[in-house]
Amino acid sequence: MNMELSRRGFLKATGAGVAATSLGAMGFGAAEAAVAAHVRPMKLANTTETRNTCPYCSVACGIIIYSKGDVRKGEQADVVHIEGDADHPTNLGTLCPKGAALKDFVQAPTRLKHPMIRKPGSDKFEQVSWDVALDRIARLMKDDRDANFLAANADGLAVNRWTTTGMLAASATTNETAWTTFKVAKALGIVGFDNQARV
Amino acid sequence: MSSSSGLQPDPSMIGRLVKPAFALLPDPPSLFRQRAERFAMLAEGHDLAPYLSFLGALAAVQADLAARPPAPTPLPAEQVERARANAMPPLDRAALGASAGLRGTIAQFLEALEPVDMPAQAAEALRSLRQAPPSVLDEMIGNVMGDAIPFETLAQHLFLSAAAQVQAARLAATLEADRLVPLDTGLCPVCGGPPASSIVVGHQGAEGARYAACAFCGTRWNEVRIKCLACGSTKGVGYKSAEAADDQGGTAVEATVKAECCDSCRSWVKILYADRNPSLEPVADDVASLGLDLLMQDTEYRRAGFDPFLIGY
Repeated sequence: MNMELSRRGFLKATGAGVAATSLGAMGFGAAEAAVAAHVRPMKLANTTETRNTCPYCSVACGIIIYSKGDVRKGEQADVVHIEGDADHPTNLGTLCPKGAALKDFVQAPTRLKHPMIRKPGSDKFEQVSWDVALDRIARLMKDDRDANFLAANADGLAVNRWTTTGMLAASATTNETAWTTFKVAKALGIVGFDNQARV
Repeated sequence: MSSSSGLQPDPSMIGRLVKPAFALLPDPPSLFRQRAERFAMLAEGHDLAPYLSFLGALAAVQADLAARPPAPTPLPAEQVERARANAMPPLDRAALGASAGLRGTIAQFLEALEPVDMPAQAAEALRSLRQAPPSVLDEMIGNVMGDAIPFETLAQHLFLSAAAQVQAARLAATLEADRLVPLDTGLCPVCGGPPASSIVVGHQGAEGARYAACAFCGTRWNEVRIKCLACGSTKGVGYKSAEAADDQGGTAVEATVKAECCDSCRSWVKILYADRNPSLEPVADDVASLGLDLLMQDTEYRRAGFDPFLIGY
């Protein structure tokens, strides 16, 4: 803990309005005033540096996201740069070419931000609400499972197999998310499944 | 044949991750030489040119003194090991303050400063310091060792701090960097002092790592990025930098000196991005970025970096 804080606070208080600075005491008050005049029309800009995890693969490299603006100060924060986190034990600041291009991934105009549907016969995707998307996915899953679920194998042994639907889950997930995803997929009997929990 | 034909691929240079060294000990002559050069470079066309030039001359004197024999006696091995075992700083500031070696360095330093051009106030402080009775000097040295500088005699203490920096850096250089242990967030692992500023380095093997820089002994030590160096909090850390009021943000060059502000303890420490500007020097650029200090005075944050050349902000 850096205890210099309290001493400096004391120093300022005892100064009681007297400009007690190194420059003043050494006779460089004019230079100090010049700097003060120079910065008077300037303002302080907020920037932020935020730790996160690269979303691409299950190595889960640490990254630092640099933004202009600070959300905590009620500002809009725009991502200006992303680089590897030198303090992260996995990658020690390094990134693969895909990770190094993350800023373009974040700002890509084609980035998927909402559920999209391409209806049968259509040649384009349309945005739909999460309710619509989840209802439709659940409906299709239920129909497919009801039609193709295997409750017993060739020997008549009871099994839990649903081989006609597969699932590919995200890589940048926590252990808990991966565990839950695995339980959902396996409880339904999904055989074709890949997920972070494999790693 | 061209020289490039002799180049052989060296797979060991890629794909190997090196953990950044915990501490970088100073090489005193080059530490002060580089600081002097950086001060001289910064002084060109700078509002603060007179002060920067003066500190450049001061650093040049420090560099000469740091190379002058005899080298100080290394710190006792027993003391270093005891400090290591108990996570205490191996350089005992109280012992340094009481040492005859420091007094010798101070006398040499003050004498070597005679030809340096300085304002009347500084010259007067230097003269009073050279004539100060031992008891007064002892008290002032105690203040320097405690980083507690009384504002009435800032100028005298500035000279003493500069002399102590030489002695402390020479003692720090006698230690083994890989035998140092972290003490606590924001504390120099050699002398226990606070950092003047911190610097994000770009040198091979430590790209993007942040080192806090001690103004007292010149040691740099690794600290996790995006963490307050005053209280150790990683919550609510933001960065502030000066920009022109009419700036639209479009073409502005990203600042390479910023204030790392902590909303937990309301303090801030300068952070220098040497990965983008390798010329940055933790003490010289701390002084040269005085404008940031002046702007930060109007915020709710207090400066937590300690630099004897920049007190009172």
